[in-house]
Amino acid sequence: MYLELNGVSKTYNGRVHALDGVSFAVERGQFVSVIGPSGAGKTTLVRLLNGSERCDAGQIVLDGAHLENARGGALRAIQKRLGTIYQDFALVENVSALQNVLNAALPDMGALPALAGSFGRQRRQQALGLLERVGLAGKADEPVRELSGGQKQRVAIARALMRSPALLLADEPVASLDPVTGRQILELMKDIQRTEGVTVLMNSHNLDFARQFSDRLIGLNGGRLVYDGPADADEDTLAAVYAGKAAP
Amino acid sequence: MSRRRLPRWAIVLAGLALFFLAARFTGCDLALLWERRGHLTDILGQMFPPDWKFLPRVLSPLWATVQMSVTGTVLGSLFALALAPLCAANLSAPPALRVLLRALVQLARTFPALILALAATFLFGIGPFAGTAAITVYTFAIMTRLTCDDAQSASTAAYRALLAMGTPPYRAFFRAVFPGVASTYLTNALYLLETNVRHSAILGYVGAGGVGLLLNEKISWREYSRVGMILLGLFLAVCLIESLSAWLTGLVTGRRRSSPALRRIIVVALAALFLFCTATVGAPDFSRASLRTVRAMLAGLVRPDWAFFFQTDAGGLGWLLLETVCIALAGTAIGAVISLPLAILGSGRIMPRPVALLGRTVCMAIRSVPFLVYGLIFIRATGPGAFTGVLTVALCSVGLLSKRFIQAIDTVDLRAELALAAMGATRLARIRHALLPQLAPAFGAAVLYRFDVNIRDASVLGLVGAGGIGAPLVFAMNHYNWPTAGAICIGLVVLVWLIDLLSARLQGGAKA
Repeated sequence: MYLELNGVSKTYNGRVHALDGVSFAVERGQFVSVIGPSGAGKTTLVRLLNGSERCDAGQIVLDGAHLENARGGALRAIQKRLGTIYQDFALVENVSALQNVLNAALPDMGALPALAGSFGRQRRQQALGLLERVGLAGKADEPVRELSGGQKQRVAIARALMRSPALLLADEPVASLDPVTGRQILELMKDIQRTEGVTVLMNSHNLDFARQFSDRLIGLNGGRLVYDGPADADEDTLAAVYAGKAAP
Repeated sequence: MSRRRLPRWAIVLAGLALFFLAARFTGCDLALLWERRGHLTDILGQMFPPDWKFLPRVLSPLWATVQMSVTGTVLGSLFALALAPLCAANLSAPPALRVLLRALVQLARTFPALILALAATFLFGIGPFAGTAAITVYTFAIMTRLTCDDAQSASTAAYRALLAMGTPPYRAFFRAVFPGVASTYLTNALYLLETNVRHSAILGYVGAGGVGLLLNEKISWREYSRVGMILLGLFLAVCLIESLSAWLTGLVTGRRRSSPALRRIIVVALAALFLFCTATVGAPDFSRASLRTVRAMLAGLVRPDWAFFFQTDAGGLGWLLLETVCIALAGTAIGAVISLPLAILGSGRIMPRPVALLGRTVCMAIRSVPFLVYGLIFIRATGPGAFTGVLTVALCSVGLLSKRFIQAIDTVDLRAELALAAMGATRLARIRHALLPQLAPAFGAAVLYRFDVNIRDASVLGLVGAGGIGAPLVFAMNHYNWPTAGAICIGLVVLVWLIDLLSARLQGGAKA
């Protein structure tokens, strides 16, 4: 298994159980969507998986490396193999699209070139190529604040791809976009999964999108795993996920 | 807001009562000033026309003054940029380090540049190096605080995204947070460059280089035509720096368009200026410094003269600090009242252009004179004491507040004023009912900020005999009486901390 979670729990302020003993495994190259109502623990799951937060109990194993007790350099070594995209894009608004994509190269550089912003010819070529890959060929030098929402998410995807990630995490990637743009973004992600063999784990509010683009669905409710199965499950099963009942 | 607010009349009444108490305590006596106005007009008359033959002697110390402020501002701002990410609560710095750094910055922020310069002369000897060190520390403290506040209110989404990819925090800060705060950072640094020129102009008073020494000498010898020449030189230097700074601020904030080539030329030119200024500052003189001095200074801070600290009669620390606060309070209030009409006169949006230009020039002339010089001149009319301090603080506040006020007026929304004009309201009525209500929050913030700075400035007025805590502090330092100096410093730290708390509360109330 490529990614394995074993009894993962996370509480905030010692009271709120954001995640409560969640276990599942993901095979390499799968497109998995995590569904569930607001407060189900979807965002917490992504934050644990990309090392932004640490779980209180359980194990997270990514390609043989234990994420749950990695700190400092060991944690960063795991994080370097991940790409994450966010609902609010998390881009630096007043620099260009190219600079935002290049930021993904910072972990591999020396401190001085990083501060001076001298990324080198090869990395620039790579970043330009990725911007072209996500359909922003002419927008490399445009400041991000002047791009549309969909274009911003494309920049964020290019930034994530810049790390050549084995695992692409997506936290509600299309929730801030209109349905048409949202579908285009998901088509792009699906295409990346197919052609590059990247494993994708996506949080989604939108059931239709989740069913259409994923190989498999994972349902969370109140921090517990309530569904783990095929994406073509019937309406009643998925309604049960949102109602907080375990699927049959 | 659910918090209960005091009625407006109660706030106004409390403010007036505070002002009159402060004025009484500092012995404000406008009749005395009016009676002796002849002394002031005499001095002014002797200053103009200035003694042009004296100009060559002014140039070199004037350049040293500019040099100290350029080097000090750049170095202080750079250090601040390096440390600010460690002070911001929303970035991932170790909490213990953050608390320690914040305490250090708060400590450094307490002391006026002049006191820092005096302390620096004990370490680096007499000369511009001590002055540069003082301006560096002074700038560092203010810029760290400002940059840290900006970083704390900036969005950290991109910063966190970079961390999640395994980017070390420092690099993530400079690539993801700094681009968002860069223009405010540069604007603040430029503003400090302007104020630092004025601060450096008095550092010579304690032997830290620049034009201050010469100025003090000529005033004590009553060679007022030469004083006039020095002040004219300073006025021109301040004009030059302010217009350069205004032009650069326009570029930084994007209000003025610029090509990448032009920007590159400017950066190279400024870097060259900085390097030239730094390379020619002159080496420090360590002959006066010794490990023993440093140890004695620190020992004074750690084991201050507690008897003096808790002494309650006139001449005790509490009384002197109270006098300092009252000088700042009365001076700021008088300054604010005078600034208001002056700012309206100086605004090109309300007044015809020639009037506005004249108003602005008067404001700039007032603020180009170092405040100790005002103290030295007023003392000839009103004698030593706190009243002279109040007048000095008031006049200084006029120079600086009117500038802030004019900036506020220049950016205010004029549509309400135009609407009243279309109904035939008189100019005065339009100012009172359409402009002042919109400007009140900005004016209030500017006055509070000025009061905060004035307390620090008022704590050195004693140096020229104008009351407050300054005289005993400088006296103690010059006599190596570190326990007393330590007690005064701790008193100042506590006072500034209390005022900070109060002003944060007041500003919160103004926003609510």
